[in-house]
Amino acid sequence: MNQSDRETELNRRDFLKGGSLAAMMTMLGGVPLLAEPAPGPAAESNTARPKVKCAVIGLGAWGREILDNLGLVLKDDLAEAEIAAICDSYPASLRRGATKAPSAAQTADYKTILDNKDIKAVIVATPTHLHKEIVLAALQAGKHVYCEAPLAHTIEDAREIARAAKKASKLVFQSGLQMRCDPERRFLQPFIRSEALGELAMARAQWHKKQSWRSASSNPEHEKALNWRLDKTISPGLAGEIGIHQLDQAGWFLNSRPVSVTGLGRIAQWNDGREVADTIQVLLEFQNGVRLNYDCTLANSFDADYEVYFGSFAAVMIRQNKAWIFKEVDSPLLGWEVYGRKETFHKETGIALMANATKLNAQGAKGAAEASVIPPLHDALVTFLRNTAEIASKTEEFISLYGADDPTALAKELSTVHLEPAPGFLEGYRATVTGLKTNEAITTGQKIVFQPDWFELS
Amino acid sequence: MKKLLPPILGTFVVLFVCSAPLRAEELTRFSALPGGKVRIEGTSTIHDWQMEGHLIGGRLEVGAGFPTEPGQAATPGKMEAKVSAVIPVSSLSSLEKDGKPYSSKMDDIARGKLRMDVAPLIAYQLDELVLKETPKTPDAPYLFDAKGRLAVAGVTNSISMPVTVTPLGNKKLKITGQVAVKMTDYKIEPPAPVGLLITTGDEVKLSFEWMVGQKAAAPTTSPK
Repeated sequence: MNQSDRETELNRRDFLKGGSLAAMMTMLGGVPLLAEPAPGPAAESNTARPKVKCAVIGLGAWGREILDNLGLVLKDDLAEAEIAAICDSYPASLRRGATKAPSAAQTADYKTILDNKDIKAVIVATPTHLHKEIVLAALQAGKHVYCEAPLAHTIEDAREIARAAKKASKLVFQSGLQMRCDPERRFLQPFIRSEALGELAMARAQWHKKQSWRSASSNPEHEKALNWRLDKTISPGLAGEIGIHQLDQAGWFLNSRPVSVTGLGRIAQWNDGREVADTIQVLLEFQNGVRLNYDCTLANSFDADYEVYFGSFAAVMIRQNKAWIFKEVDSPLLGWEVYGRKETFHKETGIALMANATKLNAQGAKGAAEASVIPPLHDALVTFLRNTAEIASKTEEFISLYGADDPTALAKELSTVHLEPAPGFLEGYRATVTGLKTNEAITTGQKIVFQPDWFELS
Repeated sequence: MKKLLPPILGTFVVLFVCSAPLRAEELTRFSALPGGKVRIEGTSTIHDWQMEGHLIGGRLEVGAGFPTEPGQAATPGKMEAKVSAVIPVSSLSSLEKDGKPYSSKMDDIARGKLRMDVAPLIAYQLDELVLKETPKTPDAPYLFDAKGRLAVAGVTNSISMPVTVTPLGNKKLKITGQVAVKMTDYKIEPPAPVGLLITTGDEVKLSFEWMVGQKAAAPTTSPK
């Protein structure tokens, strides 16, 4: 065997050890032609995309809700990801989180997660005022990031997060504006922007749920940390923590920026020494003249949460991920009304508006019922993990083919990757501005006129 | 001529060695650079379709006399050259006529038909390269006829195609080519979705634009 034959034999043996693109690329020019393979189970192939390992940082009530939804996502929708680690600085929260992700590594220090090169993505669900330090470090460590909304408790911190995310162009950054990932709302958005509703007159939204927001702990220091939402120095208030989603949705649907906000707040129910309002009423005015009348209370649960958009031809009501159109008697025919499913609300009859209506109608009541139980958070996490898997895979392919010394070319290639639509750093930042300024209007009792440059990053 | 190995179960990628014996120290190596493009165009009973990708890996190794600089003199005839090129199937995506993404479902169907799970790469090896025509101006391409083997979905066939090589200066080359192939020649059943009365044409046109360059002072393969 001559030198060339020995090299070929060596390369072929090395190649057979692994079939990844990276391994193959090192063998170029040295491996003999292989004929068509005998059929074998696909599971034997080691060319499937590696799973994206993700971690959840922050295991309070919402972090645990995220874990619950991730469990369903990984079971039903997405074999491309796994929960590799969970993190909380409070041992009891870490223990509770571990019951939902028993095979995930547990740590009290988020830096352990950021140092782990195998973990590609992090979901940050800590208290809002703690987002900045973790998110900036995660982006610096090359992690894809899902950051809950609002991005931060101050506009300055939110801007810093958004700028860092913008700079990290090879990474996926998704803000936690989960409504923007809801298929029903993505279906409704062009409909509401169309002429089907006529001239838009006004909008209304509410979020009502009787609850205290106060948590108890035998440790005073921990109790203070647990009740960060009741600390007026760091809390974004009801407007920033809860209202942000519906306030943002209104701007998204109306395709219009807020120009002013007036707000009132009071403590109606929970007179326990708190200084953060448990009931707020807001009037948010948009560039196109439409005003959103929004109220949010922890004092009463009646009618839960919904949004209504009123137009001269029709109104659209959205409750969770169902919607109905209520037509005026003099509105033009849309044509499909006769086929729509109708439901009566007191004296009003609404026609159901549903994404995939034809398919769901064919499945009957069962199909419609199943479609309605998927929360927006679930869709948001699916979108984040799919986009992360796509970018991670494309990055690995690119580096295997061309090496890692041309980051500009890599960024250009990644910019062509077709990702599922998701709220990124700019949407998250602008929603945060709206939420925090609305809270400021409430706490100061002053009308706030939005300055256009508040919504820009530079 | 190197012997073919028997089929291998499970993971499968086609790689090649050049059949023509070449003295290693004569070869200049060009590695794949970003900026390439591969396009597949086909037809169906309802509309034409197209897929594109932007990742073409591999390398080109050429002997003395191969034109690597603009305006370089070259003699028509057989050229010393090795090419190993690969395209990840996962990098191919369907497009509308205007270039916008078409359908992730069509992408999934295509990847299934291309048997991505067992043959994740489309691969090409050059067997013979003949210079047909030198350019009239320094920035015009050199025209070649290329004979080689194309592996798709685990099946390898010989193909011939015209190829152009345009030296761009700075040790970079742009290589383009185009060939029509039949899906059934690669044991790919043209998609025909059940119940939709749509059939896909068997013939597809593959075209590519491949960028290669010398990354450093060219170390050739091992000395004699």
